[in-house]
Amino acid sequence: MNNRDLISLAFRNLLRRKTRTILAIIGVVVGTSAIIVMLSIGFGLSASFQEQIESYGNLHLVDVYGGGGGGGGMYYGGGGRGMAFSSGGVGNEGVLDDKSLATIEKIKGVDAVSPKVQFYLSFGVGKYIAQASVIGMKPEVMQKFGYDLQEGRLLEAGDKYAMVFGNQVPSWFYNPKKTWGSSWGGEAQVDVLTNKMIVTADETYGQKQQQRQSPDAEKINYKEYKAKGVGILANPNDDSAYNVYMSLEGLEIIRKEAAKARKETASNSRGYESAMVYVGDINDVEDVSNAIREMGFQTSSLNDWLKSMQETARMIQGILGGIGAISLLVAALGITNTMIMSIYERTKEIGIMKVIGANLGDIKKLFLLEAGMIGFLGGTIGLIFSFILSLLMNTVLSGIMSVMLGTIGGGGSTVSIIPWWVAAGSLVFSTTIGIIAGYSPARRAMRLSALESLRNE
Amino acid sequence: MEPLITVKNIRKVYRMGEEKVIALDDVSLEIYKGEIICFLGASGSGKSTFLNMVAGLEKPTKGEIYIGGIPIHKLNEESITLFRQKNIGFIFQAYHLLPMFTAMENVSLPLIFQGMEKKKREKMAQATLAEVGLAGYGNRKPTQMSGGQQQRVGIARALVGNPKIIFADEPTGNLDTHTSKEVMEIMMTKVREFGRTLIVVTHDRKIADFADRIVTIQDGNILSIEEKAKVI
Repeated sequence: MNNRDLISLAFRNLLRRKTRTILAIIGVVVGTSAIIVMLSIGFGLSASFQEQIESYGNLHLVDVYGGGGGGGGMYYGGGGRGMAFSSGGVGNEGVLDDKSLATIEKIKGVDAVSPKVQFYLSFGVGKYIAQASVIGMKPEVMQKFGYDLQEGRLLEAGDKYAMVFGNQVPSWFYNPKKTWGSSWGGEAQVDVLTNKMIVTADETYGQKQQQRQSPDAEKINYKEYKAKGVGILANPNDDSAYNVYMSLEGLEIIRKEAAKARKETASNSRGYESAMVYVGDINDVEDVSNAIREMGFQTSSLNDWLKSMQETARMIQGILGGIGAISLLVAALGITNTMIMSIYERTKEIGIMKVIGANLGDIKKLFLLEAGMIGFLGGTIGLIFSFILSLLMNTVLSGIMSVMLGTIGGGGSTVSIIPWWVAAGSLVFSTTIGIIAGYSPARRAMRLSALESLRNE
Repeated sequence: MEPLITVKNIRKVYRMGEEKVIALDDVSLEIYKGEIICFLGASGSGKSTFLNMVAGLEKPTKGEIYIGGIPIHKLNEESITLFRQKNIGFIFQAYHLLPMFTAMENVSLPLIFQGMEKKKREKMAQATLAEVGLAGYGNRKPTQMSGGQQQRVGIARALVGNPKIIFADEPTGNLDTHTSKEVMEIMMTKVREFGRTLIVVTHDRKIADFADRIVTIQDGNILSIEEKAKVI
């Protein structure tokens, strides 16, 4: 028999017993949809974990601290939204100097390294002021850190008092004579890119005298610097949105002079207190972190956190997928049952076909094909059904679903995600299940005695 | 003349629980090409068992069967199916047409199993249907035809693949006398016309009279062989 005849014969046989075929197909539809939808919720969960964590900061970034020092005391991120997962070093104290930074830069997967200094500065534009955490970094490597710009440019080599503002910072400017304290979230009253700007380490810059914490304190003469805003970052969510970036060199000068003004003894620490490392591929972050820790530094990256959350997501997905798998197993039993019934019904017919000259292989193929078709049709309909369900969950039901799943830790914008490979895989899987379920009936049909048909009952 | 079918001392014993039933005791026979031979016997005489064994549907307990020199009793099921596909046509008492197929598709079945392409086999099936007087009935389903018509479709199906041998097991068993005669005449004419060997099994003397040679079987043994003048 040629393949076309086999397929058409199998198809006609399925059409002959419509009700039973439809019931068997429905079984597969339910099973396939159950698996796909359950898995898709798992993927959705995993994605919303990632989304959630990405909103805390940049997943590509690894912060490195000198061994033992700094790390614990550092405050991470801005706006109080930061969250970090610190992992201690091996114990031996590493010194974070240019030499070790160069070594870190050579680690596979590392795209850029920059020392990092963080300092709190006040900004003044005309009568408006703002305070923000300023990160000093090497201006020439900023492009490599993957920051997206909303406006202007990133830092470049040679920049000294050029400022790149986090997305949220420009809206922090306020008029201290009109408002008490800072009122964030309003429209940006200043254009940080064009207006003249003053930076100073004086936290009370531009504010009324009575706001000073200790009126008796000796007046400190902070120096004021002329700065220029050159860019605004695009991402409004991660922690870059709450920082201002400038050159390491400029910030170090401000800091040293501020320390001098405050009459503090300049801490003569060896090397930098921290550094930031940009890893191009998120999957490399863990390896890079490990390599840096082996050098005797401490690292912290959101990726550590993400990993453990993703493991949770995977576990939940496994459980959900398992539940789906059980229903597909039941569907497989349904197919087997359908095929066995069909063999009983068609005993005579199979006999006739054998006597007339159907090859044993053809008979087996015919039954496998019928079972496979049930699997494939069920899989296809189940897939379409799953996409509809997934769409519903993401739109109409998204409110209810996120409340339900919120307890597990999701709550992202999409509840259910069906990757293309799950879609393709489910078709292959349901067809395979059909064929496996049809295998034993097909063998039975093949072995059926041709004589049965000759009995004149 | 070299015989087409040689049957040597075949014996078939069925086990019915503890009891042994001897269906065929010791039968030897030679059948020649182009011959129309009839096995006559009451039910339970062993005639159907003989047919089944020659067609390779059952294996003899003892003895040898050769068709065109090929030892049928030694072939496995796979090769015997292939052998049947190429060399043997079947006509059944209950017609055994497949109900979901049209007359033409039923006739095409042996060709479908051979893997012949659609155009060619439909042309052949159409021609064979016309041979048995059913031109224009090609699109009818078996349920839309009379018993005589169905059996003629059965005959066409047996003839279409040009098999060397055609087996007919009580071909008129389900038909009335008038239709039986009609069907037998068509079968005989076509078999002779195409030069096939026909083996008919029946309990009906009138049917047996159509044959060149009548072998009467009783209790698993050949009782008598009647030679009739060959009508060519």
